Amino acid sequence: MSVSNLLENWSQFRHYHPVDDKPHDPYKWAMSIDLDACVGCNACSVACYAENNLPVVGKEKYAHGMSMHWMRIEHYWDEDVGEEGGREFPDQGAQFLPMMCQQCEAAPCETVCPVGATNHTADGLNSQIYNRCVGSRYCEANCPYKVRYFNWYDYPTTDNVWPAEMTQQLNPDVTVRGKGVMEKCTFCVQRLSAAKVTAKSEGRIVHDGEVQTACQQVCPVGAISFGNLIDPQSRVHKQWRAQQVELDKDRQAKDEKEGGTNLRGYRILENMRPYPSVMYLERVRESAI
Amino acid sequence: MKDIREDIAWAKINQDVLKSLENPRKLYWVILFVAIAMVGVAVGCEIYQYSTGMGVSNKNNSHVWGLYIATFIFWIGMSHSGTLLSAILHLMHADWRKPIYRFAEAMTTFSLMTAGLFVAVHLGRVWQIYYALPYPNERGLWPNFQSPLLWDAMAIFTYLSSSIVFLYVGMIPDLAICRDRMHEGWRKKLYTLLSLGWEGTDRQWRNFRVTYLTIACFLIPLAVSVHSIVASDFAMSQQPGWHITSFPPYFVAGALYSGCAAIITLFIILRYVFRFEEYMTMGILKKIVRLTFAISMVWTYLNAVEFASVWYSHDQASKDVLIQKAIGTYAPFWWGMMFCGSVVPLTLAFKRFQTNIPVLFAVSLLLNLGMWLERWMIVAPTFAHGIYPWAWDHDQWPSFVQWGMVFGSFGWFTLLFMVFCKVFPSVSMYEVKEMVYHRRQETKKLEATGKFATAGKGAH
Amino acid sequence: MSKRHLLALFSNFDAAEAVVKELRDVRINGFDADKDMIVKSPIEHPEVEEFLGYKPVHVQWFTLGGALMGGLLGFFLISGAQANFYAQIKGGKPIVPFPPNFVLTYEMFILGGVFISVLGFLICAGLPARRSPLYSTKVSEDQIGILVKSDENAANTLKAIFAKHNALEIQEEAGK
Repeated sequence: MSVSNLLENWSQFRHYHPVDDKPHDPYKWAMSIDLDACVGCNACSVACYAENNLPVVGKEKYAHGMSMHWMRIEHYWDEDVGEEGGREFPDQGAQFLPMMCQQCEAAPCETVCPVGATNHTADGLNSQIYNRCVGSRYCEANCPYKVRYFNWYDYPTTDNVWPAEMTQQLNPDVTVRGKGVMEKCTFCVQRLSAAKVTAKSEGRIVHDGEVQTACQQVCPVGAISFGNLIDPQSRVHKQWRAQQVELDKDRQAKDEKEGGTNLRGYRILENMRPYPSVMYLERVRESAI
Repeated sequence: MKDIREDIAWAKINQDVLKSLENPRKLYWVILFVAIAMVGVAVGCEIYQYSTGMGVSNKNNSHVWGLYIATFIFWIGMSHSGTLLSAILHLMHADWRKPIYRFAEAMTTFSLMTAGLFVAVHLGRVWQIYYALPYPNERGLWPNFQSPLLWDAMAIFTYLSSSIVFLYVGMIPDLAICRDRMHEGWRKKLYTLLSLGWEGTDRQWRNFRVTYLTIACFLIPLAVSVHSIVASDFAMSQQPGWHITSFPPYFVAGALYSGCAAIITLFIILRYVFRFEEYMTMGILKKIVRLTFAISMVWTYLNAVEFASVWYSHDQASKDVLIQKAIGTYAPFWWGMMFCGSVVPLTLAFKRFQTNIPVLFAVSLLLNLGMWLERWMIVAPTFAHGIYPWAWDHDQWPSFVQWGMVFGSFGWFTLLFMVFCKVFPSVSMYEVKEMVYHRRQETKKLEATGKFATAGKGAH
Repeated sequence: MSKRHLLALFSNFDAAEAVVKELRDVRINGFDADKDMIVKSPIEHPEVEEFLGYKPVHVQWFTLGGALMGGLLGFFLISGAQANFYAQIKGGKPIVPFPPNFVLTYEMFILGGVFISVLGFLICAGLPARRSPLYSTKVSEDQIGILVKSDENAANTLKAIFAKHNALEIQEEAGK
């Protein structure tokens, strides 16, 4: 708590904010999801359950809205699909939307946690620290995407969540959360940490494709790309650049152009300025071709 | 109708008020027992929730806040009564507050104590609530000072401690009176200890007057800031229905409203129970009633401002939330709130009802019901129909656990208040004496100048 | 000569005022109206200040000091906590953000002001006070008391003054 610390670290910390000249160094984890490729198979959701020790809450609690799916597939239907005289197939808009924590650069959840259990890491993730969480649930109240999930019961001790031998399946790299804690997608931070450690011991940074999130790994159509946004060789960097989506803008320059553009890339609720790190590639619409 | 008779003997004031400290009648014990039973219900609910998990409150993901936050804000709101009377009216030299501010100030203190409990029961991991305190630790971790919930913690701590201090300091001369009049026993020891050897010397009174005024000057911005901070829990978020700049003044107006209504309720009860008709007069009741009416109109106006600003905005999400409030799942409660908060107080505009005790009692309870509903209707509809379509239709009804805690909180408040009324004088004796004295001086002056016929101050 | 206390009780402020005026004017050995006389009353009465003479009240200096100290302490404590080695970025906001810090500084300002004022009150008013050797419970009820300390031989003069202004009761300290 010294002034010298403050001064010394100030310039370094100042650069963490995305709107500065040097946003992140050397990692900024980002993702892009191709909604045209996504078939809504839910494999990513299941993989997330397996990788991150998510509790399966059961039919009754799920119906009550207490599900814990960090990665969820949202279904959106157009109004007249399936109705009498309507279209047979949906034509406009995303049909399946995989939604998880957008790891916002200016996350609304971070400012409101009374005990500071959620913060921003140097590599651009929104961290959730289970030990510190007292369960005020303000972060979920403030999240525009509602991607945070609260442990309403003590799932490790609840029947039928992880019956007998299923506990063997739990990932030892990830905590099993008790009751009263908030949790959310972490971009499989345990994998990231392991990869960074390996890379550091070899004196380099993590290569593109060396680390994959669980959802990315199982997606049968390769809709999810994940990687280091700063690394110009990474697939995710190239995608963001091709789609002309910039991390630190709340309105992209391409959207200002007359007549719009054919570029499919967008971020959800961008105008609320959380600066999310996930870009979605819009579904190709028949009417647009 | 006078606020107080000018010819009440000071000795009689002492006598009447000290009579309220006598051993209570049987009914008191019955009601106290009921209050304790209510607290027991809440404690049972909390034990169940603590051991099983917050899920028993029937909340769910995306609809993560419920009655705990709503009732918390309700109790904080009710606490503005004392400050209004003690501090604001003191600065305005409205001496009709003198017979009634003591119990209002007590009400403030106990409301805050009750509100604090709700913060605790709201947390998923109550046993770690101390993480919110700024204490040095080996991890170098401090609470997040950017969070409005943490501002709440600090503001309420400040407000509670200042209120207790203010109540106590203001009571010192009265405690001296109790000390002088009580027989030997635990009471005399208590009063002797608490009155700090007060003897009413000129030095003591001079400093007392200045201190009281100074603290009153601080308490007013404190009260305004506390409820503005509580409003910031909502206003500082980005959620539709919450992200409204008029929330801080709206909440403060609602708090004053709640407090005034509660003052009317307790006024009627204390007046009847302790036979304080000489001091808690109809004249004073009328003034408080009129003040409540004025505040109710302010609250109604701020409500209208909120609706208008949402309606004329481009923010579709906020507009949808407003429409949902009116026609969605929670509509009956929302309309109930509008009725209790804006229509019911119109009865207070009629002279006939301004001194009709049964009507006023019912009206004051309805007003507070309206205020409680208001807090709930701020919390729930935004969760039920927020920005994100996936989260829509997350209607959620509180379980018996939540209702039990809300129910028990009233028992807790009643318990504290009843104990207070029997241990400490609920009417400020020295201030009533001052009031009588000054009224008499004025009457004398008017008599001397021959203007008595035109009716002096306080007569209607 | 040993000093003894006398306590006289009066039924209204006018009588007390007259007595005080006379006590000021009278010349008695060993009696100083400013130091050896204390007026006790059941209510505060700013007019008492007028006939007793203006005496400054220092509580507000305590208030000023306390409030400033509270505000500064609050601000630096919070900013220091935010700027420590494990500084955590939250919501893209600066490390030491002024809007939230202002809110808490304001609260601490008020907290400091209130508490130090009370402390100042206790110090300036001399509370907790040792009880006077002579006290009547009527002072807390409806009578005004004047406590004087004087030599034994002046006692009669003083008693005469009290009686002249219709003292309701005169208490005398027992001889030592």
